[in-house]
Amino acid sequence: MLASATRAASTRRLASRARHFATVTDTSGFKIIAADNGQSTTSVSFVVKAGSRYEPKPGLAHVLRNFGFKNTTQRSALGTIREAELYGGVLSSSMSREHVTYTADFLREDEEYFVEVLSNILTSTRFTRYELEESVLPYVEAEATEARADPATYAIELAHAIAFRSGLGAPLFSPPHSHITIEDVTQYAKNAFGRENVTILGSGISQEKLSKLVTKHLSSAPNVGVTGPQTTKYHGGETRVTFSEHGQHAPHTIFIGYGIPGQPSAELSILNSYLSTTPSLKWSTSSSPLATGLPSETSAKPVLLQYSDAALFGVIVQGKTPEGVTEAGKTVAQVLKNLSVKEEDFKRATAKAKFSAASEQDSRSGHLVAATAPWVNQLFSSTEKLTSASVGKLASDLRKAKPTFVAVGDIYRLPHLDQLGL
Amino acid sequence: MWGGPLGISIAPYIKQSKFWTRTLTPFAQWYAETAGYRRMGLKYDDLIIEEREDVQKAVSRLPPKEAYDRIYRIRIASHCSVLHKDLPKEQWVKASDDVRYLTPHIEEVVREDQERAFWDTVEVSKKSGH
Repeated sequence: MLASATRAASTRRLASRARHFATVTDTSGFKIIAADNGQSTTSVSFVVKAGSRYEPKPGLAHVLRNFGFKNTTQRSALGTIREAELYGGVLSSSMSREHVTYTADFLREDEEYFVEVLSNILTSTRFTRYELEESVLPYVEAEATEARADPATYAIELAHAIAFRSGLGAPLFSPPHSHITIEDVTQYAKNAFGRENVTILGSGISQEKLSKLVTKHLSSAPNVGVTGPQTTKYHGGETRVTFSEHGQHAPHTIFIGYGIPGQPSAELSILNSYLSTTPSLKWSTSSSPLATGLPSETSAKPVLLQYSDAALFGVIVQGKTPEGVTEAGKTVAQVLKNLSVKEEDFKRATAKAKFSAASEQDSRSGHLVAATAPWVNQLFSSTEKLTSASVGKLASDLRKAKPTFVAVGDIYRLPHLDQLGL
Repeated sequence: MWGGPLGISIAPYIKQSKFWTRTLTPFAQWYAETAGYRRMGLKYDDLIIEEREDVQKAVSRLPPKEAYDRIYRIRIASHCSVLHKDLPKEQWVKASDDVRYLTPHIEEVVREDQERAFWDTVEVSKKSGH
């Protein structure tokens, strides 16, 4: 009897935990993806295809992102902030090379207000010159300066520029002296804020409710046609940039990598987690081949950045001295050159890649991943096609292309690509 | 100053009445001409007292060309003042050029200040529905 009672209880628990998966619907031209798993807060994001790869002038996407939640014809920037505080919501925006995202997190019953605030960004932001100068550009500049102060971020920006040149090569952060005028921003927003370019994500809100609110508030949104990305081509090359802060060289950094045109494959994620130096247990060393054989005070970290039609994969090597970085770079080059994944390592890497993909999908932003990154699901759907041989083949294919090499720091002592033996 | 940076004005009330607008417009035009600022190359908005924060902010929001022209007019006028002489008649500001280029910016700043004051002192009451 006791056993049956426990069984009944556990079935009940299972039933109540049954998940509602996100569904995609098309409401008057907007793609709406929503799932309600009974959370006590709701999160709604407007994902606009207006990332830096689409910008006609460097820095425009960054400025557009910071124009979110500013003066609209309905309410002022101050009014938006103070009202959101009264409702207890959090407004935020983020950007990637593909998308600019405006997000509102709030308590369940306040969706009416927050969806309106998000909709107003698209339909009635005022885009005034003084606001650009007073409250947008200073933040853009501060964020860009902060990003440039980190040699690893800087190296990855430069790597994109060399690997893809235009499109994905455009800088994520606004470069200094970008001379962006309010006319540029208005035009860019006009092209981006059309029905076809906006995906609306909701979690903790039902599909019908979100669709109804979107229809109500976004009926005036224009049709502008889909922003089509130019096809991405991989070029590769080498660049060296002096980097110092307060007269001191910050960690000397090199990036060795390859761009892969076409939709990112699941093998790349596995290769990335095979090389990942983040140990599964804190304070232990990982079994990655990159984790062993490095000189002291140097580190190597694989980087995998996936986009809708290309990926950038590489290793960031950082160290205190240029000599140490040179040694570490040689080791990394050797690893990349003689990359062969053993069956046992392959299983471990696949499991790790699957876990990190799945746990990311479980998070709040997971819908976005599911909606915009179809390659993530390949990890789960095409398991039998993935073998250690296919990963090995990918690695050897990578090496046929011209590598992308970036050195940031003391350029007179940091290695050149040919010195690393690649 | 009473009435904010733009002072007290009964113009909005006069404008509401057709009769008073018709009656007083010729007088207003005569007054503006006689006041003499146009003879020194100034526009009416150049006379607004700018030594206060809200007007400073409004001035900073002028487009670069307008901000430059404003300073240029003020320098010409101070020169006239030193010489105790008006400009030659062909250089006087025409009534059609005497537009309120700064007032909209000042009004915007005043609105912002009022809104901030409102939000800083707002009293929140619980909605009955919640």
